[in-house]
Amino acid sequence: MANKSKLFDDAVASLTSLPGIGKRSATRLVLHFLSRPQEEAIDFVQTIENLVKNIKYCKKCHSIADDEICPVCASAKRDQSFLCIVESVRDVMAIEETGQFRGVYHVLGGIISPIEGIGPEDLNIETLKSRLQEDGIKEVLMAISPTIEGETTIYYLSQIIAPLGISVSTISRGVSFGGELEYTDEVTLGRSILARLPYNIDKE
Amino acid sequence: MMGLELANLFNLLNYWAKSSYLCRMYLQSIRLTQFKNYGQRKFDFNARFNVVTGHNGVGKTNLLDAIYVLCMTKSFFGGTDRNIIRKETDFARLAGIFRMEGGMKQMDVVAKVIKQKKKTFEVNGKVYDRLLEHVGRLPVVMIAPDDTLIATGGSEERRKFADNTLSQKNPAYLSALVRYNRLLKQRNALLKSKSGWLDMNLLQSYNDQLLEPAEYIFSARKAWTDALTPLFNEYYSLISGAREEVSIAYKSPLSQDAFSVLLDKSLEKDKILERTTVGIHRDDFVFFMEEMPLKRFASQGQRKSFVIALKLAQYQFLAQASPELPILLMDDIFDKLDRERVANLVEVIGESGFGQVFITDTHPTRVSELLDIPHQVIDID
Repeated sequence: MANKSKLFDDAVASLTSLPGIGKRSATRLVLHFLSRPQEEAIDFVQTIENLVKNIKYCKKCHSIADDEICPVCASAKRDQSFLCIVESVRDVMAIEETGQFRGVYHVLGGIISPIEGIGPEDLNIETLKSRLQEDGIKEVLMAISPTIEGETTIYYLSQIIAPLGISVSTISRGVSFGGELEYTDEVTLGRSILARLPYNIDKE
Repeated sequence: MMGLELANLFNLLNYWAKSSYLCRMYLQSIRLTQFKNYGQRKFDFNARFNVVTGHNGVGKTNLLDAIYVLCMTKSFFGGTDRNIIRKETDFARLAGIFRMEGGMKQMDVVAKVIKQKKKTFEVNGKVYDRLLEHVGRLPVVMIAPDDTLIATGGSEERRKFADNTLSQKNPAYLSALVRYNRLLKQRNALLKSKSGWLDMNLLQSYNDQLLEPAEYIFSARKAWTDALTPLFNEYYSLISGAREEVSIAYKSPLSQDAFSVLLDKSLEKDKILERTTVGIHRDDFVFFMEEMPLKRFASQGQRKSFVIALKLAQYQFLAQASPELPILLMDDIFDKLDRERVANLVEVIGESGFGQVFITDTHPTRVSELLDIPHQVIDID
């Protein structure tokens, strides 16, 4: 069923190309643009245009940035010897959100999965190697999802990092905070017991 | 005298233990919506014996498969989930009410299969995050005409049989298997993708990660083979009335050498063939009758009794491992069995060591005539 306006249909079609947007939502959004002052929609489009034309990827960590080097890598307040390796920019955002990490990042841009045709050479591993050697990194934290592909990536990177005498850790995995044991699956619970933590009363 | 009385008392207690305590898991009713050939249909069942009769093609096997799906989260006959949706409809729904003595008194299991969506399973309204958490909670054994493939088919059939049993017994086995298969797939993809240069570090990452699940599966399969053999012998002689000694041998490359060594040894071969040529995915189980391999020797009737005995042994193995007696599904098993063996079989499953049983038969009264315990006849026609 076609609408009377091709312009309208085109706008709906391009919005439905976005993830999570179906035809119904797209129609609502287009109608919204039409009901508002023209400048609003033009501003909106210009913001997106600005973003895609001018965004840069940090030369050190490969996270998104406005300049050659991102604010985190440029900051004197961050511990430049503590490196957190993540899969994607989204993970950087998630970790920054916690406010718990004071080091710097390295974005791999994916994880190793030969089935998907992604090998180590497709990831930002060469730049990682040079950073490890040149930037005085003392500790590496692997914040990578504990899937089979994630574990493989961690394992692979550890083989590169360990001989350099840099300590490697992974984020802990196990029973989620506020979760109940009864509802935790056996694999997770089993691993939580194997990788149990010393309990410290003085801990904050 | 005293000793005899004690022995009797013990037998009696044993009988009670099995019949009144263990035998309590059963499927009370099932409601099928657009499952295979069914439109909308509800069945109520007897806690012990159910005989499903009807003409060919009315859906006797499908009813057993529906029960199997509720226990194992997938069809006994394999294939994609879409195949369980009735033709020209968009979804299938299966709902079963299981009653049990210990723990949860009642489990309402609902399976929903919707075209182009993920299959979901829920118990008492709670949806599983991962389907494999359900496997083993409702143990089940299916005996079907195709089972002779376990004896005559490729090694894959026998591994499937072992995996089916061990996954139901222990959720950790299924996790290990899923993990192993995923790693193996990645390793094979790696071997295939690089015809010239192979990243040895990455290959080593897969090798090292494969060790743990492989060793786990190896020792579980080995222990299972040992535990199954005596049960298997017992049932074989009960059904066939024969004295032939039967046994199972587990053949795995891992019994020769440590898996890590095997992987290193086969590296050149793996590179050339572009796949992993050694591991528990190459295991086999060899069946013997009087110390002769079954594949070459047994007659059709012998094979049939052999495979039924194997399934009954699987049943007892699961019964020993689980607080509940498994559900036994027997599809069209009287084909190719003579009357004497049928009678022996019915007598065996009528004993206290068995729980709820479902039997299909095209003949409306054959099973009923042999069963001297209360049962229900479900006529699908």
